[in-house]
Amino acid sequence: MRVENLERPVAEGIARAMNAGAGYCDARFFSEDGSETLVLYDGNLEANTASFESGLGVRVLYGGAWGFAATSRASDVSEAFEKALANAKTASMLVSIPLNMGVLPAVTGSYSSPVVQDPFDVPLSEKLAFLGGLDERLKADFVQRRVVFLYLQRMRNWFWNSDGSFIERNLLNCFADSMVMAQDGDGQMQRRSKSLLTPGTGTRGWEMVTNPDLWSGRAEGMKEELSQLLTAPELEYGRRSVILLPGQGHLQVHETIGHPLELDRILGYELSYAGGSFVTLDSFGRLRYGSDKLSVSAFGSVENSPGSFGYDDEGTPERDYLLIDKGILVNCLTSRAMISEANHTAGRQVFEHSGGASRSTAFYKAPIDRMTNVNVLPGNDGNLSDIIAGTEDGVLLDNPTSWSIGSNREHFHFGCEIAWEIKGGKITRVLKNPTYQGHTLEFYGRLSAVGDRSTWVVEQVPNCGKGEPNQVMEIGHGVPVMRFDDVITGEEK
Amino acid sequence: MLDETTRDAILKVRDEAAEKGIDALFTMHREKSHLMRIGNNSVSLNTSEDLTRLDVEVINGRREGSYTIMGDITGPDSVRKALAVAVEKASVSTPKDYDPISRMVEESAEEMLQYDEALEAMDPGEKAVVYREIIEKTGSHLNFSGSWSSGSTEVLLASTNNDNLAWRIGTDQQFTCVLKHPEKKWELASFQTGWQAGEVKAGNTIESFNWLLPIYQKPGFRVEPGEYTVLFGSQAVAEIIGMAIGTGMTGRGYEEGMNWTCGKKPGDSILSDRITVIDDPTDMNTFRFGFDMAGMTRNIFPIVENGRMMNLFYDLATAAKYGKKPTPHSGSASVVVSPGDGPECPMEAVKGMGRVLYIPALHYTHIPNRSKGIFTGSSRFSAVLLENGEMVSPIFSSRITDTFQNVLGNVAVLAPWCTSVNGSSTYDRRMPEAASVPGYMVSTGVKITDSAESF
Repeated sequence: MRVENLERPVAEGIARAMNAGAGYCDARFFSEDGSETLVLYDGNLEANTASFESGLGVRVLYGGAWGFAATSRASDVSEAFEKALANAKTASMLVSIPLNMGVLPAVTGSYSSPVVQDPFDVPLSEKLAFLGGLDERLKADFVQRRVVFLYLQRMRNWFWNSDGSFIERNLLNCFADSMVMAQDGDGQMQRRSKSLLTPGTGTRGWEMVTNPDLWSGRAEGMKEELSQLLTAPELEYGRRSVILLPGQGHLQVHETIGHPLELDRILGYELSYAGGSFVTLDSFGRLRYGSDKLSVSAFGSVENSPGSFGYDDEGTPERDYLLIDKGILVNCLTSRAMISEANHTAGRQVFEHSGGASRSTAFYKAPIDRMTNVNVLPGNDGNLSDIIAGTEDGVLLDNPTSWSIGSNREHFHFGCEIAWEIKGGKITRVLKNPTYQGHTLEFYGRLSAVGDRSTWVVEQVPNCGKGEPNQVMEIGHGVPVMRFDDVITGEEK
Repeated sequence: MLDETTRDAILKVRDEAAEKGIDALFTMHREKSHLMRIGNNSVSLNTSEDLTRLDVEVINGRREGSYTIMGDITGPDSVRKALAVAVEKASVSTPKDYDPISRMVEESAEEMLQYDEALEAMDPGEKAVVYREIIEKTGSHLNFSGSWSSGSTEVLLASTNNDNLAWRIGTDQQFTCVLKHPEKKWELASFQTGWQAGEVKAGNTIESFNWLLPIYQKPGFRVEPGEYTVLFGSQAVAEIIGMAIGTGMTGRGYEEGMNWTCGKKPGDSILSDRITVIDDPTDMNTFRFGFDMAGMTRNIFPIVENGRMMNLFYDLATAAKYGKKPTPHSGSASVVVSPGDGPECPMEAVKGMGRVLYIPALHYTHIPNRSKGIFTGSSRFSAVLLENGEMVSPIFSSRITDTFQNVLGNVAVLAPWCTSVNGSSTYDRRMPEAASVPGYMVSTGVKITDSAESF
């Protein structure tokens, strides 16, 4: 399939669907959805894979219900429109609240991820030499396992809809991780890892991967911390303050702010798989989600993040807005049809316009409400040293090893790689096997310190799963260091 | 089914590659998938996919490379192009410090034991009719969600190391219906599975909802942290067993000191002597694959026998690295847990046991400490407090944080019958997988570590 050969059949397909009574129709064509994965495990190149996908996905709203169809065959373009329309007509057999996309002005535009050097243009030998060099730096006598992981994505797609919109996007993402592991004196495997992050600005090509400040320059620190874990005692059960570094804080935000604020979850469209949300339509403007130190934005004008993409998958330009303002819930992650249903269900206008959060992971998946960048805004409580100095009894935590969240996101349990004990405002020792648990609103209500801009980074998430058929989406979280008080930590014996 | 053009193209290029001495495995995967999703008593998505993927894996001495394409596989040139990319990647790759094991289709196979053309071609309207019946007969004032995935999966494997060809086509379906009270917020769920049209019945779901609806009229009960006897339903049993095997019985994790079974050896007791687990590709409760995705022939494979550790899974890379024999477990497993000798009815099984938590399914389980075998997850659908086998009240969302050794080590009763639990993921490509597990399991001393004041 080639885009220049698609413009006419796509326009005809959209017109046919609308003439048949559809309320809305869109199509997205991926000329390329490519990936490359390289994994060095103990220096052996255990994964050296690449993939290429190309095809067309069509979505039709008919009788208030969605039908979707996709094809990777150039000969089946017209059939894809017919199939999507037929699927929508079948879906319309069972409708209680008809979905409505409204009519918006046509949008024409393009977006390209900011890139200096396309990593797909970098010779494989050069990429392997770089990763091999990092693997060498991870070596030490006590290190038993080393992992270096690189995952690259490049997507070129075109979007058309019945509003008359036409959007071209070139998206590029680089994800990377490194890890060292060793068994401690109790025979338990301990690990330290580091993922490629972004400062939120700059470019996201190969130059990001090779910037030692963002990832690859942390080898010595990881090994030192792993060596301390091997002789460390276990974090004991008890209530204390927890300070989350961005490596852990971003997942806390992802699971207990991002997911509960997806409007399709709030409305009950994820109940059969991912779950619901404790948030209701009455919560907006009223619910105290956390202390007044908590302010959270969507998108946040972050130029360098996998959660920045120009336009969502129904043609809405990405928007920068607050989700939580000084602790009060004010908005959520939305798409056009979901805000229409929410306003209808509430009998009032809860949401004014789409948050530009309708996203699809592939040409063969229908868009759903997703996170973009869900960011905690920097605070005024100083840098990490200041926050540690102000902590009487606590632990500083980094990087998740496990995460388990209640089905409505009302409670959670996390495990982390490492804890640093804090007594009297000073780090006293390293503790292993740290875990903590809590209830979402109570936890954020105990947010007592938020680090300044110096502590804020954008952590990349390449694997957020949601939807049926499941879709794995890439997103970002800009987060500062955060401290929460009176949290249950460790496991009761 | 796969057209002759695609099949011939793969075989033609396979033969060309063999003549050039290229060590390659070609895997074609085609899915014809349909999924209907329900939300708020409506069809929220009705989607069809017809996708063909080709994987080419190449070994060049100690170097490996692979490439996957999805798109028009219209003839030999498409396959040649994919092969060329994989060959190039392997040639540039860095060598391993061990000799990779070549992929080889051990035996030719043509399998369609679990293929039903009627399910593959099922009219989506039939799904809407089933959901409508459930909604109307259970109560349209309640809120219904769900999803129903169905379709066919076709795989073809051919390697340059011999002339064998392994081919399988099968159908499968996975049905979920969730009932949520719009004000009280509790959730009940019904799951059905199978590979033939007509196996999913509205009546089964209506019956399961009607069984629990009366008790769910009562106020919810908050479980205080502590140790409890728990009656696990089949979904929870499959989840716990699956995670225990995944973190305890993989060769890589065992060789490298990560598994909770490290320190034990085959023959050692690791779980209750009531627990026997095998991988059985002949079990009709599972989706049967006679070969795995590396081309190895699958047979019955003991994993745990009467609580004793039997065999570990070794993928090709781990087997090559540690000098072990690879086992045929790439792709869909058929985990079969032997039934026990408890009463037919789960409520009979817990009579006389006092306070018991009935937890049919677990939500979002994870592993805080693999070395210790600690897992955590919370109750979700249909959980109920029981007193001496009588239902007392629904329970709020409650968290279990415990070890596999404890939960699967202190098994008091197992159902005398097994049921199929569909564990297929719709991430990435369609690959049906199901386990056959006892209909219930009673474990004592299970640790509840947290609970909410809501469902």
